[in-house]
Amino acid sequence: MAGGKIVSIHSFRGGTGKSNTTANVASQIALKGKRVGIVDTDIQSPGIHVLFGLDETKMGRTLNDFLHGKCPISEVAFNVGEKAADSEGRAKLAGKELWLFPSSIRGREISQILREGYDVNRLNEGFQTILKELKLDYLFIDTHPGLNEETLLSIAISDILIIVLRPDNQDFQGTAVTVDIARSLDVPHLILMVNKAVPKYDFADIQKQVEDKFHAPVAGVLPLSFDIADNASRDIFSLRSPDHDWSKALRGVADAVAAVK
Amino acid sequence: MTASIPNQLRKAFLFRGLSSDALTALAQKVSVRTLSEGDVLMRRGETGDSLFMIDEGWFKIVAEGPSGDELIINKTGPGETLGEMALVDEAPRSATVIAISNARVLELKKDAFQEILDQRPDVALALIRGFSSRLRFSTTYIQKAIDWSQKIAAGDYGFIENTQQFSGNTESDDDKATELLSAFFQMVRSVKAREDELKQQLEKLTLEIDEARRKQEFEEITGTDFYANLKEQAKKLRAQRMSSENEG
Ligand SMILES: Nc1ncnc2c1ncn2[C@@H]1O[C@H](COP(=O)(O)OP(=O)(O)OP(=O)(O)O)[C@@H](O)[C@H]1O
Ligand SMILES: [Mg+2]
Repeated sequence: MAGGKIVSIHSFRGGTGKSNTTANVASQIALKGKRVGIVDTDIQSPGIHVLFGLDETKMGRTLNDFLHGKCPISEVAFNVGEKAADSEGRAKLAGKELWLFPSSIRGREISQILREGYDVNRLNEGFQTILKELKLDYLFIDTHPGLNEETLLSIAISDILIIVLRPDNQDFQGTAVTVDIARSLDVPHLILMVNKAVPKYDFADIQKQVEDKFHAPVAGVLPLSFDIADNASRDIFSLRSPDHDWSKALRGVADAVAAVK
Repeated sequence: MTASIPNQLRKAFLFRGLSSDALTALAQKVSVRTLSEGDVLMRRGETGDSLFMIDEGWFKIVAEGPSGDELIINKTGPGETLGEMALVDEAPRSATVIAISNARVLELKKDAFQEILDQRPDVALALIRGFSSRLRFSTTYIQKAIDWSQKIAAGDYGFIENTQQFSGNTESDDDKATELLSAFFQMVRSVKAREDELKQQLEKLTLEIDEARRKQEFEEITGTDFYANLKEQAKKLRAQRMSSENEG
């Protein structure tokens, strides 16, 4: 495909590190000079805005406004390269072409959209508009865990699906279902990423087991690390600490995404 | 054989520091003893009064097993010294030594040896030097073994890489200590290998999938109208994007 690619980041269970992975992989790719967008479709429990230093005071229009027909999607764009270079890691994104489309973090707006629902087709139109208007090379979609409707939509329209899993049996089980769904929906490129692997385990063995089971490439096994937890999603860790083992493995995932033609 | 006796004697740890002149004097006190297979050269527990050097033939060094049976600790042959401490201390023999072939040994009796000590203070001095160097040698090695033991207890095996192996050194009289340390080394290596293997086992995760549940969950999700619709739409959308990109 010559145009922009949609990359969804998904995990069956919560807290696997989707938002951190999305923000870091997207940033690494923007760093290489690509035009990159990120949409937070985790409407129920948005999280990725924190990684880009966005809080209630800085947040303007949100994805909720767009879904309710209050504004065009272009107004939701938060230009990270211009505005968020306010931390050690993010400073490296200054001047880069990276846009974030945040979900509202106002309790009232969250409960409203959950109560009233929205048209997933409109969400899809939004994706297509962003891709075109901003001439994106990549549109990353951070998702809510599980397989609800907007997540299924994001999987269905993805060119690349990254499934993040922890090396435990519950995640393994959930990933199996997601892999089956992705195949049923003809997702062209499936990439697995293991996060929060306890360093005492044999990472090569974990990679092999996961690859053997799912017949899909594992682009990286990333360690469980106190340093990531300590970063508390305040900054783009792989930019802040590029020499950390987690960051090195993360760049491997970004390379796998960039390698898809 | 007499011509080589001083050289033979030099091999004994005790006589290492002696001058050729002193060794020659000592050699004159040495007598030759021949043994047949099965002859007992010395018996554990007896007070010994001779040093032996094996000239020809082989011996077994034996101890008594728990049920009184014979336990071979070691075998020894030409060039080896046996019971040298008997010349200076009163301690009983520590093991029994039996010829396992016809053999010939050089024997230096305690009395003859002490005669020399009376006559030649230089020999006495050289002996003291020999003892003190042996003592220093032993304490160095013991200290090393203590250091290593402490490291092993703490799980630190780094010294294995940083210490050269003790081997190929069989000519020296330091053999016993060296042998001990090399046995010690072997032991550490195998302990570490076993520990690594154990760790390796711990490090492997067992990941399993309940296939029946996988199938059931998949069917639950894909069985809805929404899903059927989505699948249809997704197909169209991909085709659309494909063609619009090809236009642009
Ligand atoms: N490799 C890691 N080591 C330690 N902590 C990590 C690691 N990866 C992520 N975390 C921490 O785990 C928590 C969840 O991460 P993140 O928000 O990226 O996950 P998520 O999958 O988006 O969660 P949710 O399902 O709630 O959206 C965060 O506190 C993050 O700092
Ligand atoms: Mg998240």
